[in-house]
Amino acid sequence: MKKRQLHFGRTVKYLLLTILVLIYIIPLLWVIFVSLKTNGEVMAQPWSLPKTLHFENYASAWVAGGIGRATLNSAIVCTITLVVSILLGSMAAFSISVMRWKHSGKVLSMFLFGMMVPVHCILIPLFVFFVKLRLTDSYLGMILPYTAFALPMTIYLMGGFFTGIPWEVYEAACIDGCSVYRLFWEIAFPLARDGIFVVSLMTFVGNWNELLVAMVFTSSPSVQTIPVRLTAFVSPYATDYVRMFAAIVLAMLPTIVVYSAFSNKIVAGLTAGAVKG
Amino acid sequence: MNKVLRNKRAIFIFTAPAAAMFLAIMLIPIVCAIALAFCDWNSIGMPRFIGAGNFVEMFTKDKTMGIAVRNSLFIVVFSLVTQQTAGLLIAAALSARGTRLRNFFKNIYYMPCVISSSALALLFSFLFNPNMGINALLRIFGIEGPLWLMDVSWKIPLGLWAIGFVATWQYTGSSMMLYMAAIAGIPDTYYDAAEIDGAGRVQSFFLITLPLVKPMAKISITMSCIGSLKFFDLIYNMTKGGPSHQTEVMASHLYNSAFGNMRFGYASAISITIMVMCVAVSALVNVLIKVEDR
Repeated sequence: MKKRQLHFGRTVKYLLLTILVLIYIIPLLWVIFVSLKTNGEVMAQPWSLPKTLHFENYASAWVAGGIGRATLNSAIVCTITLVVSILLGSMAAFSISVMRWKHSGKVLSMFLFGMMVPVHCILIPLFVFFVKLRLTDSYLGMILPYTAFALPMTIYLMGGFFTGIPWEVYEAACIDGCSVYRLFWEIAFPLARDGIFVVSLMTFVGNWNELLVAMVFTSSPSVQTIPVRLTAFVSPYATDYVRMFAAIVLAMLPTIVVYSAFSNKIVAGLTAGAVKG
Repeated sequence: MNKVLRNKRAIFIFTAPAAAMFLAIMLIPIVCAIALAFCDWNSIGMPRFIGAGNFVEMFTKDKTMGIAVRNSLFIVVFSLVTQQTAGLLIAAALSARGTRLRNFFKNIYYMPCVISSSALALLFSFLFNPNMGINALLRIFGIEGPLWLMDVSWKIPLGLWAIGFVATWQYTGSSMMLYMAAIAGIPDTYYDAAEIDGAGRVQSFFLITLPLVKPMAKISITMSCIGSLKFFDLIYNMTKGGPSHQTEVMASHLYNSAFGNMRFGYASAISITIMVMCVAVSALVNVLIKVEDR
């Protein structure tokens, strides 16, 4: 009797888990199917499978829709932000968590205060400054706020990874006459590579998907990132459905591909990051 | 050793770039935003000091702000209830010993968290389009669906429920992930002992899992609340606050006030309100959920 109950419970569990998978997969499959149809087909039967696969919708979204240019812009902005924030953040984290000085605790709390600040608060003053400095509509105008907002998390997490390195490693290096710069660059930084990987992914994915800052600070398609371009390009009231759906797929694809490639590592890393945060 | 680590020049070289950046892009703008919140400024000319005028207008005259605050709080509560419950239950189900395909399920459920909210919002705005998505599917079965995002017949518009659903759809995975990490930290022996004492699975869940994930629940709840208060992407791409401001949230009202009506002072006051609410909610969660030191 007990065994049968257990069996029943297990069936229900897997049934529910599978239904949940369908709830997650169906919208994504739907957008892919629609993106391969013609506009006539979409209006007549939005849920049917495409009769022939119209890959030219993707070419149209990529070139005429400007998604290609936006992907390039996103890649440039996110990569530069990533490199700068990891570098500046690791340096600050190293000096705060490994080196010895009186005010390190205060400086750390100053940075951690940044985690509480919504980006909305700095939007208006920064917009005014950037208009004066002619930084709107430029890559730098996005890179600066993205980097500043990545710093608190980077410093917090990297600090944890630097203190996690056995103290003996630092000691041995110092006894051998290693300078503090080499201690950071050739010992601590490479040893914290797991941390760098996690923080990089968090920063990259976050900025890749960021809409508000990018929308406020850019207006011309030559610098706009994917979320902004997509928002401008796709509207439920426009009629060229297939091209919009192709654009949505193209916008979702990069992060899904990265996620699939590293999913287990990302999941472990993001959890570690969130737990510490 | 100590001499190397007390090198003042190195400390300065390491800390100064990040600190300077942080000062220029974060701290100075915040001070400016606080100052602007007490001014009337249309972005041309000089800001005019008007004391608490913006805040008085916000809470007494501005009807849209009233709706926006209500809607933001609705999103906070809706996300809190749905994401935490679903996240915890899924985490418990997947963490059970001998669960097959655990990584497969986990990876699928977490995937939406890495997808751009803007893209998802647009995808769902088509799904909730009265002619194309869900309604077209319902029509096959002869059911005429509601107007979804355009429907304003309820007190909390149906569109907001739909947007809340999308938020839950996207972010349940992140709560699940946090709870799975917490459950993985509970020693198996606790469950073994409970089983020997005759506790069923449900009892084990309520008496062992639930109390022991409390520290993580605190983190997860705080993150969810702050995220909900900052909520913007989904609203902007699904309804733009419409119809007639019925689905406006604080962030979208801020955006419209600043970059639609050029009321920079008033919008700053809204942004400060959002920040204060974020701090207040974190403090509240800290007080309400007591975690014993273990």
